[in-house]
Amino acid sequence: MGGFRRYLLRRLAQAGFVVWCILTIMFLLFKLMPGDPTAIFVDNNFTEDMIQRQRMLWGLNDPWWVQYLRYLRNMLLFDFGHPFFQNESVAEIMLDKVRNTCLMIVPALLVSVVFGTLIGAYAGWTRGSVFERAAVATSLVLHSVPSFFVGILALMVFSYQLRWLPPGGMVPLGGPDTLWGMLASPDYWKHLVLPGLVLVSREITGPILLLRSSMLEVKGSDFLDMLRAKGLGEGRIVVHATRNALLPLVTYVAVMTGILFQGQVLLEIIFAWPGLGRELVQALTHLDFPVAQAALYLMALVTLALNLIADLLYGAIDPRVTYE
Amino acid sequence: MTGPRFLDVLGRNPSAAVGLALICGFVALAVAAPLIAPYGPFEVAFGPDRSVPRLAPPSARNWFGTTNQGMDVFSQLVWGSRVALTVGLLSALGSVVVGTLIGLVSGYFGGWIDDVLMRLTDVAFGIPFLPFALVVIAMAEPSLGLVILLVIFFLWRTTARVIRAQTLSLKERPFVWAARAAGAGHWAILFRHIAPNVLPLSFLYVAVGVQTGVMLEAALSFLGFGDPHAQSWGIMLNAAFRAGAMRTAWWWVLPPGVALSLFVMAIFMVGRAYEEILNPRLRAV
Repeated sequence: MGGFRRYLLRRLAQAGFVVWCILTIMFLLFKLMPGDPTAIFVDNNFTEDMIQRQRMLWGLNDPWWVQYLRYLRNMLLFDFGHPFFQNESVAEIMLDKVRNTCLMIVPALLVSVVFGTLIGAYAGWTRGSVFERAAVATSLVLHSVPSFFVGILALMVFSYQLRWLPPGGMVPLGGPDTLWGMLASPDYWKHLVLPGLVLVSREITGPILLLRSSMLEVKGSDFLDMLRAKGLGEGRIVVHATRNALLPLVTYVAVMTGILFQGQVLLEIIFAWPGLGRELVQALTHLDFPVAQAALYLMALVTLALNLIADLLYGAIDPRVTYE
Repeated sequence: MTGPRFLDVLGRNPSAAVGLALICGFVALAVAAPLIAPYGPFEVAFGPDRSVPRLAPPSARNWFGTTNQGMDVFSQLVWGSRVALTVGLLSALGSVVVGTLIGLVSGYFGGWIDDVLMRLTDVAFGIPFLPFALVVIAMAEPSLGLVILLVIFFLWRTTARVIRAQTLSLKERPFVWAARAAGAGHWAILFRHIAPNVLPLSFLYVAVGVQTGVMLEAALSFLGFGDPHAQSWGIMLNAAFRAGAMRTAWWWVLPPGVALSLFVMAIFMVGRAYEEILNPRLRAV
């Protein structure tokens, strides 16, 4: 285990270094922006005196390194300050938005992984069948089509033409506000169907293709013959084979959730889902920098954390991995 | 990769043949855009009586109808192929060149150079691309050049890692020892002996680069962070989305989306066929 501990420490140190780099890049970005943040916040009614006081309040008159250190401390403590245009603190807003984004991503990912695994494993097991070929071809097409266009199409057909499903939003105005209230509300599920399915249509392709090819590899291995020799039924053998074929999926899932934000931003805009991605785009269009900064930082943190978890999990579930 | 073998692969992969034909079609469209498109990318398609045909459905006059500002959708689509090809090619070439160079140097020299360059790729991998690109563009002026630079910044990391791994294994091969014994310097070994061996692999990432580049440009433009002066498919989708054309004017929404999907899919299919030529083991599976 000594080797593992050293590996863990090294990976943690690496992750810490990357976080610091990203924070610094963000600091430079938001410092380099043209003009003065106060110019967005103040309007013509502000006197020069008031502007100066606001600058003092924000610490904009301090030397850059004081600002930099204060910024680092605030970011590490998740103290994101106050938005320009809303009353709650940025941290409170972020908490809300992260929850909403999870309310879309988590169900979609669960469905993708579970059904993708089943479909992929079955396709790999029945290699050469019509089912396998159809599954692979469909996955390849869905994998390469831009998911935001799929989203637009789904919206056009199911919301505007057929009027089966609501065209956007998460719950109607004045609907439930808490996590459990949301989960218990049929409105939430109705709003989730379209964006959720579009997300699944893209995310399910990875598990399908991965499980199929890893199943093909496992299928030829000796331990299956061993199990057959022991007299196990074909059904039990498929289960054993699938369990082994699942290994690469673990890393894939973590990496997948990391890059999920790419498509997530687009889907949240298309379906007006009040999540982290939509908040980022809106903050950027209104030049509300505290909010944009916090959203970007949180997305980077999630990406990094998931990559780290993927690496560690892989070692934990595959006894063949050593850290020496 | 000889001609007959290439045709052979195409014969066994009808999807790659279709993809190649589609790509040729898009290239022809882009090259001959001024001849094909009846109107300019931002030109209002005035009717015979100088009226502005707002949201006109497809007709013999405007094959794919018009936008809410009376612009010809078909013309915009044709001009959009130019933007797609430019963004795709430049971002792919840029990212492959940068990634290959970094991968080669990192893998060949090892030591602290490798450490520094690989930590750099770690940082690049930790940055969620689309959100990051949105922030950068919001800070600066949106322009096509900036979009291409951002895509390069996002894409080089994968190529760098793969090429580094390849270089690591190549530099221990006998032919490299032989070159060193014959007195070749580091750079000569790197660029005359190792680089030609990794280039086919780098080339695979050109396909990935074109695909990702076009997709990201479309995504950024769709979100309203694209170059407003370049009539791309993403910009068209953005305008259609904002005008609520999904409810009223399907002919404005479908063409750019379908063109984008076909283009990306075509590149993907051809890339897969090329991968198969490169790695014959894939053929068995």
